[in-house]
Amino acid sequence: MTVLFKLFDITKSYGERQVLNAEHLEIRAGNIHCLLGPNGSGKTTLLRVMALLTTNDTGDLEVLGEQVSWQPSQLLLLRRQMAMVTQSSFMFEGSVFYNVAYGLKARKKPKKEIQKRVQESLELLGMLDFIDAPARYLSGGETQKVAIARALAVRPRVLFLDEPTSNIDPSSSLEIEQYIKHINQQYSTTIVLITHNFFQARRLAQQTSMLWDGHIIEQGPTRDMFHNPQDPRTRRFIKGEY
Amino acid sequence: MDVIGQGVKEGILLILSLDPELIQVTLLSLQVSLTALVAAGLLGIPAGTFLALKNFTGRKLILNIIYTLMGLPPVLAGLIVFLVLSNRGPLGEWQLLFTPSAMIIAQVLLGFPLVAGLSARAVMSQRQEVYDTAVMLGATRTQAVLSIIRESRMGIIAALTTAMGRLIAEVGAVMMVGGNIQGKTRVLTTSIVLETRMGHDSRALGIGIILLILAFMIMLLILKLEKRSFKDDSTIQIV
Repeated sequence: MTVLFKLFDITKSYGERQVLNAEHLEIRAGNIHCLLGPNGSGKTTLLRVMALLTTNDTGDLEVLGEQVSWQPSQLLLLRRQMAMVTQSSFMFEGSVFYNVAYGLKARKKPKKEIQKRVQESLELLGMLDFIDAPARYLSGGETQKVAIARALAVRPRVLFLDEPTSNIDPSSSLEIEQYIKHINQQYSTTIVLITHNFFQARRLAQQTSMLWDGHIIEQGPTRDMFHNPQDPRTRRFIKGEY
Repeated sequence: MDVIGQGVKEGILLILSLDPELIQVTLLSLQVSLTALVAAGLLGIPAGTFLALKNFTGRKLILNIIYTLMGLPPVLAGLIVFLVLSNRGPLGEWQLLFTPSAMIIAQVLLGFPLVAGLSARAVMSQRQEVYDTAVMLGATRTQAVLSIIRESRMGIIAALTTAMGRLIAEVGAVMMVGGNIQGKTRVLTTSIVLETRMGHDSRALGIGIILLILAFMIMLLILKLEKRSFKDDSTIQIV
């Protein structure tokens, strides 16, 4: 199976404080890979490094088969194969259509194709009725669905999801989980999912990496990790002691 | 009280009379201030955006200079342009002194810091997620920066509105470099000064009313443009 991300000894510090020290991580194509861990464990920093939004201080970073050089032309080329949804997704001023069409317009796609893909993406998420609505008037759950549709419209190879359901109610959360599964299965999109909800990790991810104080303390198939955690900290986290 | 009443009456009569000289003075006021505003906008918005987004040595110093120049006294702006354009000045050979061009240059000098400084503040108030969202959707750096400007447009329009208010109403700079020459460089504000000096208080007040109406109409136009582009923007509800 193709490996889309290879990370070796990636570190990141803010001032004196080291927030990330990931010795080794591989993300395989077609998987849902979960980054699990408590608040402040370095999950978001790791995701931002992989999404090429934050530079690493040291280490080797290989993304989509390329050694990252941080040259703007390379960043554009790589980022155009990715998309991201965060926990409270930012919506540009304007309609839902404007937001979902944004990535396609940036790629200078023909108008007809933009129209078609925006409609398809919104339809998949059950949001087509909102196409002309102002994006900033949507509820939390609706915003997240539009954000997923917006990411999906650009047909990414990799979709980063940074706690996409942490700000919404349980039923909307489960609904979004279904969409995440569907996107992974239907389009073979590789998904890197951050969560601190281990039930969600178990429902969605084939692979999980457990982070603690910036380190990856354990990783492997999600099922194994939940049934037989190797690290005592993982065990305690799963028991809900953190 | 009588002077004010008389002034209002005279102002209305002046508007109704469609006096050719007054029309010419009004049009020149508009031409000078609007040209200066467009130039200040074309220079100030990119400069403000650059200062807000680019980190380099001396950035803070430049920003502080711009913030200070936002309060530049018009007479001083006029004096600087006067010295530069006077026969002994570095650009004396251009022969621009006492022409509308000199007045525009002086007003650009006044408008630029306002537009650049306030645009910089508007862009700085945007959060990192605007850029992140844009680039993660495949925007180039330029496209992402344009999106940041688009998100800041409420503040940028406020900057242009503030600059227009300052330019249309200022007298010191245009008087200094324009010279208030009848039929050539006389604008509404310098007319008010002249009429007051000649003891025509009511006429001066009348012209003042015309100036006020003009400023109001320009602001209305800008606010209308603003409203059109923000029809779906939420406002804070105080209950």
